[in-house]
Order: sequence, then C-alpha cells, then structure tokens
Amino acid sequence: MQGKTLMRAASAKLSDLNILVAGQGGDGSLTVITLLGRLLAHRGLHLFTSRNVASRIKGGHAAAMLRAGIERRGCLGDQLDVLVAFDAQAVEIAGHQLCAQGVVIFDGSSGPVPRQHLPEGAQVLEVPFGRFAVRDLRRDLFKNSFSFGLLTRVLGLPDKEAVACLEERFGKNRKMVDANLLALNMGFKFAEEFDCPERHGFWQLDRAKRQERILVSGNEAMAFGFLVSGGLFFAGYPITPATDIMDWLAPRLPQFGGVVLQVEDELAAINMAIGAAMTGVRAMTASSGPGMALMQEGISHLGSAEIPLVIVDCQRAGPSTGMPTKPEQGDIAMLAHGGTGDYPRIVLAPGNPDDCFELAVTANNLSQRLQCLVILALDQSVAQDLATTEPFDLDGIKIDKGKRLNAGEVAALEEYRRYLFTEDGVSPWAPPGTPGGMNLITGNERNEFGQVSTAPGNRKKMVDKRARKIGKALDLLPPARRWGDAKSKVGLLGVGMAAGVMAEAARRLAGRGCAVACLQPRTLWPVLDETVDFVREHDRVYVIEHNAEGQLARLLAGAGAPFEKMRHLRRYDGTPFRPSGLYRAVLDGEGAQ
Amino acid sequence: VTKIYIPSEPIWCAGCGHFGVEAALRQALVNLDVDAHKVAILAGIGCSGTIQNNIGTYGYHALHGRVLSAATGMAIANPDLLVIAAGGDGDGYAIGMGHLVHSFKRNPGLVYIVMNNGTYGLTKGQNSPATDPEGGGQPLDAALLGLAVPGTTFIARGFSGWPDHLEKLMVLALTHAREKRGFAFLEVMSPCVTYNDTYPAWSAALCNLDDDDDHNPSDRMGVVSRCTGLRAEGRIPAGLLYSAPGRALETTLKVSAANAPVHLDIEPARLIAEYRQLLEQMMV
Repeated sequence: MQGKTLMRAASAKLSDLNILVAGQGGDGSLTVITLLGRLLAHRGLHLFTSRNVASRIKGGHAAAMLRAGIERRGCLGDQLDVLVAFDAQAVEIAGHQLCAQGVVIFDGSSGPVPRQHLPEGAQVLEVPFGRFAVRDLRRDLFKNSFSFGLLTRVLGLPDKEAVACLEERFGKNRKMVDANLLALNMGFKFAEEFDCPERHGFWQLDRAKRQERILVSGNEAMAFGFLVSGGLFFAGYPITPATDIMDWLAPRLPQFGGVVLQVEDELAAINMAIGAAMTGVRAMTASSGPGMALMQEGISHLGSAEIPLVIVDCQRAGPSTGMPTKPEQGDIAMLAHGGTGDYPRIVLAPGNPDDCFELAVTANNLSQRLQCLVILALDQSVAQDLATTEPFDLDGIKIDKGKRLNAGEVAALEEYRRYLFTEDGVSPWAPPGTPGGMNLITGNERNEFGQVSTAPGNRKKMVDKRARKIGKALDLLPPARRWGDAKSKVGLLGVGMAAGVMAEAARRLAGRGCAVACLQPRTLWPVLDETVDFVREHDRVYVIEHNAEGQLARLLAGAGAPFEKMRHLRRYDGTPFRPSGLYRAVLDGEGAQ
Repeated sequence: VTKIYIPSEPIWCAGCGHFGVEAALRQALVNLDVDAHKVAILAGIGCSGTIQNNIGTYGYHALHGRVLSAATGMAIANPDLLVIAAGGDGDGYAIGMGHLVHSFKRNPGLVYIVMNNGTYGLTKGQNSPATDPEGGGQPLDAALLGLAVPGTTFIARGFSGWPDHLEKLMVLALTHAREKRGFAFLEVMSPCVTYNDTYPAWSAALCNLDDDDDHNPSDRMGVVSRCTGLRAEGRIPAGLLYSAPGRALETTLKVSAANAPVHLDIEPARLIAEYRQLLEQMMV
C-alpha cells in the first residue's frame, strides 16, 4: 500500500469536474458514473455523460465519462481530474488524458499501475478492490461500490450522500443494499489510509442550489418529443446507436394506444411505417447509416407519393458497417441528396437533448403539414450522451394536422383529387377510410387523381408542385442557434455534436482576445439563407464537421455559400472534437492569417 | 356525390389470368357488402400491381416487394379497413419473400392475393421463383412454405380458370381477415398468355382438394403430406388448403376498430398529466 506516501495537493476548488471510469465491459464503469451523477445532480451540478464502448456485450475496453459543474456544458472537457481504472489497460488508454495533479483510483488486483502512462504529478490510490470484493464479499462486481467509496472521499463528498445514493439505486433489494454498503464502507476505510477523511478530499467541489432537472439522452428526448406530439406508430430494426429509441418507445407508446413493432429488416420498418402513415397516424422509424442506406428507396417513395413520415438517422462512423459505437457526421450527403429523382425533403439536425425534443415535435408537425418526409439527423454523440437540462415545456406543444379532410369536408367538394395542384403544393388529403374520398396513392408519376401518367406537361407540373411544398414553407423550418460576437470577422459553424464543443471553444477564444461568431444550423436541408449569409458575412468561417470529405462544407457551397471563405476543421477518428483541440485549431488558423 | 377518380381499364393482355382475379375480387366485395371507402387495395410492382386502379376503392401502389409491409402497417393503424394486398410471384416470392415469411408468422388481419403467373410479365418474360424451369429444378411453392410457419392461419390456392371456385376462396379469405383471424394467403394460378401460357398445363395439373372428402383443412400435418405428395406427382394442390383459428396481429397488439390509433385524440392538453409522469421518470 502506498497510501501514506501520497502528496496531497492543496484542496483546490473545482467547479468543472471531469472523471472517467474504465475497465473491461461488464466491470460496472457505467454504474459508478451513474451513481456519482445522481449524487452530484442532487448538489445542483449540471451533468454531461458519455460512454465509450466496444460493439460487444461483455468484455472489450469500456469507459464511462462524466463532466459535472456549475455551468451547463455540451461536451466533455479536455482533461481528466479523476480516473477510476479497473485494470492496467484503462490507464494505458486514458492515462494521458489526466491533468497534471490528477488522481487515479486503481484496482491493483492484477499488478501495479503502469505509471509510464501517467503524467508525473498524477496521484495514485492503488487498492486491490477487485480482490477484496471477491475475498470479503464473494462477488467481483461489488468492486463498483468499493471504488465509489474511494471516489466520493477523493472528491470530499459526505459519506451519507454516497450511502443515500446506493440505497436509492438498489432500493427494494435489501440484500443488495447491504452488500453494496459493506463494499462502500471498505472504500471509505481505504480512503482513510490514503489520508482522505470524510469531507477532506483532493478538491473542494463546488455546489449549487438543487434544481429541478432531467438527465436525458438525445435519443430519449427525441422519442419523447415524438410521443407528445401525437406519434402513435413506430417500426424499427435494431441498430446501434438508434436502438435506444425503439427501446424507449416500446413500453411507453402502447400506454397511449400506440404500437411499436420490431420487424425483420429496415425495408419492412420503413414500409410498415409508410402503411401506417397513409392512414393519417403519425409514424416514425429510426436507424443508422447502413439501415438508412437500405431505406433509401422508401425515402424517395415517400417524397414522390407525398406521405408524411419522420425518420431518424443516428449517424455512426462509416463507411459500410464502419465503427458502430463511434460518432460521425458522414451521412450528411446521403440524407440531403440520397435516393432517386427530385423530391422535397427536410433534414433537421439537433445538437443536444433540448433540440432533439423540440425538433421531434417540429418534425412530426411539419411532415403532416407538408405531407413529406422529415429526417432527424443525429450523431452517436447527440443520440447517446446524456445531459441535464430543464424539464421540457409540455404546455407549448401544438398539433398541426395540415390539410386533412374528413367525410363532411369531402362531401362538400364537387370533386376530389388526391394530388390536386395547389398554390402551396400541398393537396387536401383524405386518408383511407374517409367516406367518399376514395383515391389512389402511388410513387409513380401520376395525374391529380393518382392515376399513372407520363405526359410531359403533367410531369413537369407535378415535380414543380412537390418542390413548391418546401419552397413555400421555409419560414416554418427551425432556425439556427447563434452565439458569440456577431460582429467578429471570424465565424465558427457546426452541427450536431459540434455545437457544444464550439460553444466552449468560442468562450476560450474570446478570453484570448479572439472573439468569434458561432452558428449551429438546425435545418440541414434545405440549406437556409441564414446559413449561406453567415458564411458570406464573415471573412473566414471555420466549418467544423466529423467526416473526412467535408460533406457539410460541400452542402453549404452547393447552396451558394462562398467556399473560399471556409476553413475546414474535420475529424474522423471516431471521437468528437474537444474544446481545447478546437480552440487551438482556430487560434492556429487565425495566427496564420 | 363528390366526383372521384374513374377506375382504370386493366392494362392486361387479352386472355390474361388477372382478369379472373379482378372479377372474383369485385364479386366477393359485392357479396360481402363492404363499403368502398372501407377497402384499401395495396399492390406491388408488375402487371398485378395495377389491380388497385381498377376497382374504385382506396388504392396504393407499393414499392417492389414491400406490399406486405405497407399493408401490415395500415391494418394495424386502422383495423376498421379491409386491407387487401396484391402482387405477383416475382414481387412476393423473389424481392419480397422475407416479408411473406414474417407475415405468416405475425398473422396481420389482411388478405394477400398472389397472382402467380410463373414469370416476370411486365419486363417481358424472365423466370420467376415460381417458374417451372425446363431441365430440372422445382418452382417455389409458397403454400408449402406457409404450412411450415407455426403462425400461419389461412392458405388457399385458386385458379383464374375456375371463376366460381375462386370467388368462393376470395370470400373465405376476406372473411378470415375481416373477422380478425389473421393473415389470409390466397395464391391464384393466373397464367400469362404472352410469356408463359400455362393454361393447358395448369388445367391438367391442378387438383381441387375442396372436392375431396378426405381433405381436412384444419389438419396441418395431413395437408402438408397431401400437398407434398401431389407436388411429387407433378400436380398442383388447390382449394382451401389450410385454415386455423387465430388472432390477428392487431388484436394481440390490443388494437381494435374502436381504439384504433387512427381514431385516437392526440391533443396534448388531454394527455398532459400522463406526459408529465414520463418527464418525472427523467428527473435527476
């Protein structure tokens, strides 16, 4: 035991804590992070958590990360204050992220900590907690609560709050509570040996007044938004990282009379959703890159046949199967341009759980109003990272039913044409079952009645009608979020997971006398004028994206944004930008000016 | 009365078996006295994929091979509709085969009419999975396939050359779906006079088990045995091959005409208390 030899840093105040818990999958890294998150949320801190796992069920290196602080953050920090490592591999992989005075809580059951992977000033609490858990508690997994005891002491947190957290977590199962409390107390005991008495940790962690907050992932927020805006049908096929949506809806949608179906493939998923949507029920499907590729035929069909549907793409690293558990923004080109022929579509890009909730509601309403598909383009990080936020505003939810006809309205018409040419391109819609409104729906080109037609004049009018739907509805599309110094000559532009990092980097840049303007477009397609103008209005715009080929930059350029003004910050290693990396890249770029 | 689309004239060649299918379907709908607005005919791609244009009900032209998926979604979302999926053997047994197997398994309350002509007619005569190939091999028998799936509740095979019999099968199939017993699979041997004129061959090979007193449609093992035996002799078993009591998928999902998703009031104000409870679960 090396406890007594530890160098204690002065109990510095900490208002922004970054911690990583890692080991083999199944070690319980996520449990420790979840426990700590609850405890810190009760102390009024904002949370941001992320997971880094291999695409397998058990085993493989797995890490859970937590950022907690007074301020709300939309990304992980640059460096770790604490690393809880269940094995040497965790230190090998994450040790270099530790800050100079960082603390490592290391399970020494299988050997000493590999110090060469740690900064010189790192302080190590090395305890064979895995071995103790097996020896004294007869179960390896209790090492979680053991390490949690050490961890809460290192952070100077009161023991009773750690106890309360465990009791809440294991609640009804008294035996589990007792066993975990034993493990927790062992953790406290060893903390004493490292000269870490209760409330005297390595830091004094800031606290704030406890707020009513929710902790939610983008996937959950989006599924919730779909539900509260009247979504009643979901069909999907499991795929990482979109499966959470189906898993969240499956037990909940039926409570509201809805249906969730797990079907045989993505082709069935989108076509079943199409079948449901044709009746007027609000429907959705969700997938990721490979599944979205399979859905492309259905997507074009929706555009042609004018059927409303919400489709979610939780982008993961491609191409092909790529890296299923890693984030990327590599589907932008497919989402904006994929499919056959010309057809109207809307692609929205939320950047955090609040956006996910809001844009899911918007997507549901827009698809009904315009009778077209709306794609929600998330990325793995936006989809699966959890963040605290204010409870969603449920009073503001509105339902837009669009031009739906009931029996009486049909009866009042002299004639009914499903694909009637109208000024706004949207035709009145009598879904199957409406008395008197019988009509034909097809993805073939057709006349106004829905009967197949290849007549050149009709064809052109039909293409124009469909295009008009979006052209006349631009005002309804979600605007970008903006922050920073609007008057700066330098702009930062990014979507999805880039938003949170961009916000933080911009603040640091301002602190260095390099104020920038930031734009997070939330409507990816069509590219809105505000996005093009943003590039035009600045001397240089750093386009931040997580793909190699610059799909976002090309999209903007295609819409008329001057390419020569763009500077490209691209990342495609399967990890998101971190604030310091982005900050340095922009500073370097500006230094070169 | 509001003027709507005028049903199209069929696009099929003179003598096409599909005329018989359409006639039987029309007559069955009349016999059952179903309102046109409560019928949705969904069709796939191919010559068969135009039948929905000809009848005057709600119609939908699905993607190639996906008619069963769309029909299933529709039947669940609005179980008040009589959902009729139609398509050819290429549409159903080649590109769409995965969905057929899963439809047998899931048992949605809808009718699936396969107009089997043993060829790709619209693309001018390529072989389909149901083509009887010269020089060996066997055509795919989707009825036997369905018999192998535990969830199957209704399998019938008719012939467009036997109009009265086909009409009876059509009524049985529609009734099976309407009464929410589940997935009614009706294959109609419907020759393509242009590319695969099988009228004489099929007339000789078809064996109507409805005329056979020993045939018991509820005895699955017996049906499998009989159908396999007939196939081995080069015959084609026809009639109501298999029928079992069942519960349609939408019923097991607790969806009925009364509480169909399509009729639910989704105004948020009505449900806000329940929504708040979900939000509570996210509190930290």
